[in-house]
Amino acid sequence: MRATRRSLVLVCVLVCLGLIAAACGDKHKAAKGEEGGKVVKGGTLVLAAEQEPDCTDWIGSCSGSSWGYWTMGSPTLPRAFDVNADSQYVPSPVLSGEPTLDKGPPQKVTYRIKSDAVWSDGQPITSHDIKYTWDQIAHGKDIYDKTGYEKIRDVDDKDPRVAVATFSEPFAAWKDLFGAFYGILPSHLLEGKDRSALTKNGYTWSGNAWKIDHWTKGQEVKLVPNPKWWGKKPNLDAVVFKFITDTAAEFQAYKTGQALGGYPQPQIGGETQLKSATGINFKPSEGLSYEGIWFNAEKPPLNEKAVRQALGYSTDREAIVAQINKPYKPDSSVLQSFFPPGIDRKYAKDSYDKYTRDLKKVDQLMTGAGWAKGADGIWAKKGQRASLTISTTAGNKAREIVEQLLQSQWKEAGFELKTNNTKAGTLFGEWLPKGTFQVAMYAQVPTPDPGQCVIWCSKNIPGPANNNSGQNFTRLKSDALDKTWGPADTELDESKRADLTKAGIDALAEDVPALPLYPKLTIVVWSRTIGGPVDDDFTLGPFWNMHLWFLKK
Amino acid sequence: MGTFAARRIAYSIPVLIVASILVFVFVRQTSDPLAHLRTSRDPTVIQRERVRLGLDKPLTTQYVRWAKDFARGKWGESEVSRRSVGTEIRSKFWNTVQLIIWAMVLSAIIAVAIGVYSASRQYSTLDYTFTGLSFMGLSMPTPWFALMAIQLLVFEPRQILHLGEPIFYSVGLHSAINHGFVDYLRHLALPVLTLSVQLVAGWSRYQRSSMLDVMSADYVRTARAKGVPRRQVLIKHGLRNALIPLTTVMAIDIGGLFAGLIVTETIFSWPGMGQLLVSSLLQGDTAILLPWLMVTAVFVVLFNLLADVLYGVLDPRIRLA
Repeated sequence: MRATRRSLVLVCVLVCLGLIAAACGDKHKAAKGEEGGKVVKGGTLVLAAEQEPDCTDWIGSCSGSSWGYWTMGSPTLPRAFDVNADSQYVPSPVLSGEPTLDKGPPQKVTYRIKSDAVWSDGQPITSHDIKYTWDQIAHGKDIYDKTGYEKIRDVDDKDPRVAVATFSEPFAAWKDLFGAFYGILPSHLLEGKDRSALTKNGYTWSGNAWKIDHWTKGQEVKLVPNPKWWGKKPNLDAVVFKFITDTAAEFQAYKTGQALGGYPQPQIGGETQLKSATGINFKPSEGLSYEGIWFNAEKPPLNEKAVRQALGYSTDREAIVAQINKPYKPDSSVLQSFFPPGIDRKYAKDSYDKYTRDLKKVDQLMTGAGWAKGADGIWAKKGQRASLTISTTAGNKAREIVEQLLQSQWKEAGFELKTNNTKAGTLFGEWLPKGTFQVAMYAQVPTPDPGQCVIWCSKNIPGPANNNSGQNFTRLKSDALDKTWGPADTELDESKRADLTKAGIDALAEDVPALPLYPKLTIVVWSRTIGGPVDDDFTLGPFWNMHLWFLKK
Repeated sequence: MGTFAARRIAYSIPVLIVASILVFVFVRQTSDPLAHLRTSRDPTVIQRERVRLGLDKPLTTQYVRWAKDFARGKWGESEVSRRSVGTEIRSKFWNTVQLIIWAMVLSAIIAVAIGVYSASRQYSTLDYTFTGLSFMGLSMPTPWFALMAIQLLVFEPRQILHLGEPIFYSVGLHSAINHGFVDYLRHLALPVLTLSVQLVAGWSRYQRSSMLDVMSADYVRTARAKGVPRRQVLIKHGLRNALIPLTTVMAIDIGGLFAGLIVTETIFSWPGMGQLLVSSLLQGDTAILLPWLMVTAVFVVLFNLLADVLYGVLDPRIRLA
């Protein structure tokens, strides 16, 4: 008996020591390098991914996952344009220079491909790949988004290094084509076959710095350097994205070193966790996504411009930004147009900066429109009280805080605000398209292109004409908006286009179908053991330049 | 027994059908499988997908179409990812079964040991200690315990001992670099511990109670009077009979455990059935949700049936009717 107990104790001690030894022993396997900023080669970097993509058929309707693109699409797909930190479209390493635009008519865009641009199997990237990609998107079934591609009449690929896309009608957002989420696909591997079947569960080809080594569903995806990449070769041996969907678990993974970086959603109160975690850097950025308040201009009293403008003057947007963004990013500011920082500023104008909290202006506007305050302090006109209901996605703490702020701000200004929140599916799938809401709060995620007719033009109000699929949920019919945002989608001259977008923003600030609130923050988190230029890219995500990163000791 | 089992299975079929109808209607009414397409700039993609997925048809037509395909073994593709539903569920099912097996084995060993000791040393200091710990275990919320385990067993040892890597891991099935068996165990430890806390707490109480009943039986008193060594009385006569009720409780708990791993799998990023349920619910992917429900329901029904049958097998005095 005593011998048995002693043996048991001895075994337990040995197991514990073994585990500790295993934890020590791997210290130098996972990270190699020297101290300081000297670039060193080798090592496997483990990063956290908050979502797993549903599929990797990037042009199919099962795609549309930002995380899928950031972890697998952006590192492996060649593209026509990239968007730099100044929100400028720049030719990607695939092209030998800026594509040339012939305004025509017909509009033509010429892409010149570098002679050393090759796929990971050594086959050259050619104009036929661009043609194939266009054809798949414009004429394929179950395509995520055909916008722009269906306006291309043909792609000339006679010269394997030169692709000429001819448009059937002017399309101003041509720089978005063959870039962003889609890229260029390898025709020599996919043409004549079922593209979706061959790509949806991962693929091993690449035309960029990395290629997919394996994708174990539900667990991880591993990228390794593309040996045929003609640009700067990656410093790392491999990058592994672990899928960690729970935010608390994600933060624990950073703290315990199981993930050396990631891109977590900013959480209310989360900045204290990040600030208190040792060995971790984090950088908040403002990109393409922004939060706004959207009015249903068909529903009284929001069908009156004076009421919408008065609500603009009732809202203290600075106070909202102070609550939501400033804990992470003290210099964050109110958005004064519907162009977040990720869109080239030459198209933007801060026309909404006149809307600061001013209760005198509210009184002026409302009394001028025939409203009078009742005994309860709420505006009323012909028996109708200025009582509004705001809807947003349920369970979102940040939005609930904003709703509370709006309730008190608007009440002081004479508007009663009730809340009626719901699931995202109901809000975006039912209430917004059907117009069964009064005020809504949600985020927009535009592309870097400044065209926004899709959300402002009358033709895009959901209705029988567009099969209820339009996205102008504010339902405001305005000549001023139609005459600016409509042509902005087809004006090829950049300075004329900028004039149109600025005039369009002025018209929005005058008609106030919506109120921009703040740019939504993105946060890059990375361990101090990672060296190199870690930074966010508004379209490509924070892992766009992983090939320049390295692991310090 | 065969008739008993067949009758139980027959009773289960209408239950499964009603459950599948309720879940189908509930999920369709509350979630939107096209939510991820709402921000698309192509105004026609929503309508195309609605037609492809049959979402434009009445609810009854949608359900009947699904039920027919399911009965024929055509589980189809995920409405969101287009991956085969069968493949998805199979891979996740095995990951969950691993957790269950390890948790069951560990919990059974510890719970039986505690139950036997507590019964044989009733009202001792250690018996009271185990009782207190059991109540703590039963009342401890799983997510809290999981996060505390990560803090105390992953984070703190690494900080204090200045280790390159944690001793135990809290993310996934294995490391990015090392896929060996020891690495697997280091990943398994905390999820299994989290599951085991409540199992051990409950089962040890059952075992203690069952042992006390058995130890006070006449045949046990007779064995002791005959001079059979105490240890032999405890194990051969007492434990063997006291295990019968615990075995049936365990069988029922396995079924419940299968459906209840959601929190554990989410916190530890364990790619199992619980995680699959959460992601499918959030996406409104009924193509996965419904087979998930059916697989889980069959699992629960089977193990409930096993519990009943096992009782009859282990105790010859019981005749199943």
